[in-house]
Amino acid sequence: MKNEEKSIDKASQEILEIAEKEGIDTAWDRYEAMVPQCGFGELGLCCRNCLLGPCRIDPFEEGPQKGVCGATPEIMAARNLIRMIAAGASAHSDHGRDIAHTLLLAAQGKTKGYGVKDEQKLFSLANELGIRTDGRDKKEIAMEVAEKVFSEFGQQHGELQFSHRAPEKRQALWRKLGIMPRGIDREIVEVMHRTTMGVDNDCVNLITHGMKTALGDGWGGSMIATELSDVLFGTPRPIRARVNLGVLKEDEVNLVVHGHEPTLSDVIVAASQDPELIELARKNGAKGINLAGICCTANEILMRHGIPIAGNFLQQELAIATGAVDLMLVDVQCIMPALSSVAKCFHTKLVSTSPKAKFPGAEHVEFKEEEALPIAKKIVRMAVENFTNRVKEKVNIPKEKMDLVAGFTAESVFRFLGGKYRSTYRPLNDAIINGRLRGAAGIVGCNNPKITQDWGHVEMAKELIKNDVLVVVTGCSAIANAKAGLLKPEAAFQYAGKGLREICEAVGVPPVLHVGSCVDNSRILITLCNVVAEGGLGDDISDLPVAGAAPEWMSEKAVAIAFYFVGSGVFTVLGNPFPILGSTEVNDLLTKRLEEMVGANFAFEPDPIKAARLMIEHINQKREALKLKPVMYEREKVMVK
Amino acid sequence: MHYVIVGGSAAGISAVEAIRSLDREGKITLISDEEFSLYSRCLITYFLAGKLAEDKLKYRSSDFYDKERVDPLLGVRAERLLPEKKNLILDNGKELAYDRLLIATGASPQMVDAPGSDKEGIIGLRTYRDAQLINARLDRVKRVSILGGGLIGLRAAYSLHARHKEVKVIVKSNQVLSQMLDREAADFVRRKIEQKGIQVMTGFAAVEFLGEKEVTGLILDDGRRLECELVIVGKGVRPNLELVEGTGIETEYGIIVNDYLQTNLPNIYSAGDVAQTKDLVTGQSTINALWPCAVAQGRIAGLNMAGKKVKYDGSMAMNSVEFFGLPVISIGITRPKGKEYEELAKRDEKNFVYRKVVLKENRLQGMILVNRIEQAGVMGILMRKKVDVSPIKTMLLEDRFDFAKILPIIKEGKELFAEREFEEAIITY
Amino acid sequence: MGKVFCDIRKCLGCKSCEIACALEHSESKNIFKSIREEKKPRQRVVVRSTSKEPFPLRCHHCEDALCIQACMSGAMYKDEQGVTRHDPDKCVGCWMCIMVCPFGAISRQDNLALKCDLCPDREDSFACVEACPTKALFAGTWEEFKEKLGQEKR
Repeated sequence: MKNEEKSIDKASQEILEIAEKEGIDTAWDRYEAMVPQCGFGELGLCCRNCLLGPCRIDPFEEGPQKGVCGATPEIMAARNLIRMIAAGASAHSDHGRDIAHTLLLAAQGKTKGYGVKDEQKLFSLANELGIRTDGRDKKEIAMEVAEKVFSEFGQQHGELQFSHRAPEKRQALWRKLGIMPRGIDREIVEVMHRTTMGVDNDCVNLITHGMKTALGDGWGGSMIATELSDVLFGTPRPIRARVNLGVLKEDEVNLVVHGHEPTLSDVIVAASQDPELIELARKNGAKGINLAGICCTANEILMRHGIPIAGNFLQQELAIATGAVDLMLVDVQCIMPALSSVAKCFHTKLVSTSPKAKFPGAEHVEFKEEEALPIAKKIVRMAVENFTNRVKEKVNIPKEKMDLVAGFTAESVFRFLGGKYRSTYRPLNDAIINGRLRGAAGIVGCNNPKITQDWGHVEMAKELIKNDVLVVVTGCSAIANAKAGLLKPEAAFQYAGKGLREICEAVGVPPVLHVGSCVDNSRILITLCNVVAEGGLGDDISDLPVAGAAPEWMSEKAVAIAFYFVGSGVFTVLGNPFPILGSTEVNDLLTKRLEEMVGANFAFEPDPIKAARLMIEHINQKREALKLKPVMYEREKVMVK
Repeated sequence: MHYVIVGGSAAGISAVEAIRSLDREGKITLISDEEFSLYSRCLITYFLAGKLAEDKLKYRSSDFYDKERVDPLLGVRAERLLPEKKNLILDNGKELAYDRLLIATGASPQMVDAPGSDKEGIIGLRTYRDAQLINARLDRVKRVSILGGGLIGLRAAYSLHARHKEVKVIVKSNQVLSQMLDREAADFVRRKIEQKGIQVMTGFAAVEFLGEKEVTGLILDDGRRLECELVIVGKGVRPNLELVEGTGIETEYGIIVNDYLQTNLPNIYSAGDVAQTKDLVTGQSTINALWPCAVAQGRIAGLNMAGKKVKYDGSMAMNSVEFFGLPVISIGITRPKGKEYEELAKRDEKNFVYRKVVLKENRLQGMILVNRIEQAGVMGILMRKKVDVSPIKTMLLEDRFDFAKILPIIKEGKELFAEREFEEAIITY
Repeated sequence: MGKVFCDIRKCLGCKSCEIACALEHSESKNIFKSIREEKKPRQRVVVRSTSKEPFPLRCHHCEDALCIQACMSGAMYKDEQGVTRHDPDKCVGCWMCIMVCPFGAISRQDNLALKCDLCPDREDSFACVEACPTKALFAGTWEEFKEKLGQEKR
């Protein structure tokens, strides 16, 4: 594969060439070596859940048609799929749990380096959770909020507090279908129970429960992570920053933080600004300390502090291969174990911090909230001291770096679109109703060497905004679009349709809005609730002219996210399909019959432009159903047949 | 029907098997000037290196002549050929009449014409007898000079190095293996063998040999003296054309044959290192003095002699060699001259890996593989079939190139891939 | 006994044939023990792919085997059943066979050529065919294979 086929990002292409010359293997090389990947796995027709197996079902119908226990393709595919949901939901929920834990410790005064940054949000949450606020110390309130939220993880019955934010109609539907999540961990455990040998063998039953589990993530674990992170670290506001490998600096200490939880990255921001450490850096010959991020933890500190992003998922090895990273700091999720082999070729120190995530070849400096700031400073010091070991001849920092605006949240959307005096969603709703905006779409998810890096995200975004669809992005998709310049307000003039451009011009926002990390997909849910509540666009999320997409997904977390969006009524298109195509029944269920159940479906389309067309057609259908005015600046009849 | 075959090496034996596959009754007489028969010349250097026992030199079982019902005249030379009488006169005076004749007399090492070249210990390396002569001297030999940097020269060097002799290879051109490889690939090989202690001197020739009866050294063209007790000459081979002189059989470098391996005289065929055939890649009439070519030609000559008309699609230059664990394969044109050729190459010097392909009008004309040789045959079939490789041009240099990658090409050009074994791909792909 | 043929359309790239082949050529013929054997059991069939479609690359035991013609030591030969066999005692590792095999089906192990031997230890079956879960691999004659293809409504 040529480097241009591996990525559309010039910085990636540049470093890939260097990696090739130096004999450093990357995820792309390992993918090429892995091809052809096993067709049974791709089709979901393989099961290893018990020792009667491992079993395979022959899609060509000559070999076995059932597993040893009698499992049919439907059962195998459905079981495998909801285990992926369980894994993804577990990742997000554990993240949420950790944040809740941090808030609790901070409120109890047991931590060094944390505090309540957004009191307003804390109070608002407390009110929502039925916790008294008047006359109370904010620490007390914080403790009670944390305890209440914490308890939702281990809850056995009842409902999740934040699920009550959804429109009444949606909540009623969930209760009717029996998919209102009872407790975050409970649903996940039940997935493991149902999918073990000899329990649930009905694919509709299995997938329904999978959806319930995903809802426990979206309206549970992830939303908790987002809300409490806002309380602890501040609710993001629109902020300018830069993205891509060019943010690394030749004359400063480069400290890259990778992973997901802001408990770590946020305190690193503070530590990297410590004057003593900056002085030490100067003594070692550096002009300062340059903090940059990769993946979602990068998005967290970008949204709140404007810290630059070095790259997204597929650039984690490439960042090290620039030879300019003095220390890469990792916590949990999306971290390739290959990093230590790359780091070994350079002076780069790889440091792991979570007791849950250790890596071969990494130095482990365990992070504890109780000692947060001192540990963070220790790690920054390690980076500063490693600066002198940088080998100049091996440093190749691409010059690519792009400006961007990020920091949009459910709150800021209406602060912005509402104008100065009254924060409201009315202008947004009106824009959709009168057709200046066709609708909105969310593009989320990872990178995957199976799809040219960033191509899926960027082409889709361009096609959507060209057709007056407002796009919100999170995670690695946000980073991809940022690198392509779509997060600049000027991008509206270059790429957006007339209607969307008018709005962006008036408000001063880019046509693609960065709303945060992957747990911040919950911000999109909240926004959708607010749009419904504002009125004029139906009374359930499934009435809205909106769609979601994950064009380059790879992680189990993406499966959970996709399911909680569909379960909440949002049509979602995935690039590569779920590994279930070996079962026509499961495929039909996901792509056709779910609509009758929850008002939304999945679609699988690896070509981003075709996928965008599917989304636009869906949005048009929703507009028709709502009897909205035609789109103001209709370009052409965009029909997919 | 009396078939007479002059020459008992690759081409001759292959012809015997081909004739017998069609004609179990006809009489076959095989004449060879070597007493030691049915052995593979290519194995001689392994034998010399001490890596192969004598009995392993044979590539057919010793009852071959009995089983195939051949009358072998070993240690006998065919002295004269009388085509009008369809007669051969042997060196023992006997006459031998034939109905169909195959001349597979092979070639002999080109020796050096310089003062002192008649001394003992200056030996070419081709036959079992040469190896025996060398072996007999080895306990008196400490230093060996090899003249010529081609395959024979380097293989000889490798063998004698394995026998713990101090070896120097003297090469006229500026690289080793100049017939087989380009400069870059040749230098990989040179680096490897020099690393292991074989000295290579390029740009030199021997102009005089020293010593009394036996060689004790030589003088190079720059005046320097090299002491050595054995000189092995690997400066190429010359076809053995003595038998056809004055007979009216057309020759140029070798005996000229048509697509059916027939000479210009009726009932007389030729094959192997003595025959000049069409080169599949260049289209020119040439001698590719290589074992697989001789085997193929002998086989086709035999089939034609026994009455089945089979066309020979031509020979290709192809060589495979390994030194100290570094395998090298080349096929076709490796050092193209002319703007119409396109050369693509990829190298990893640290790991001694080199891949090069030579294309003309998007057809593969030559290739070199150093170290990663597994897919050489796939490139070979592309060359043989002369297909347009533009869909996979860049893929040719990848480590991941293999037969699966050419399935689309086979499907496209299915008339060319007529052999039964390709049908599976054509039907099911 | 026939040979091994493959319906490429049915290959899913699971590589069961590779494992079965290596296992068949191991000492212990037991999957758990064989991976610890000193002389690593090697498979003679390798699953490769075009760009995305998998395909088991293996020796076709060609009628006019080029490897036998090219072999300069007589290590490659046809046995009575028409199987192209390789005698490791005679092999000198010259790689002429690799140079001419159009399928690239010959590999190297311990300086000797390595290729499919149609499972001589088995009575009349082949390890790879038995292991193939989609029955893409077929054991029989060419005519039987074509008949089977004709019977399927694909």
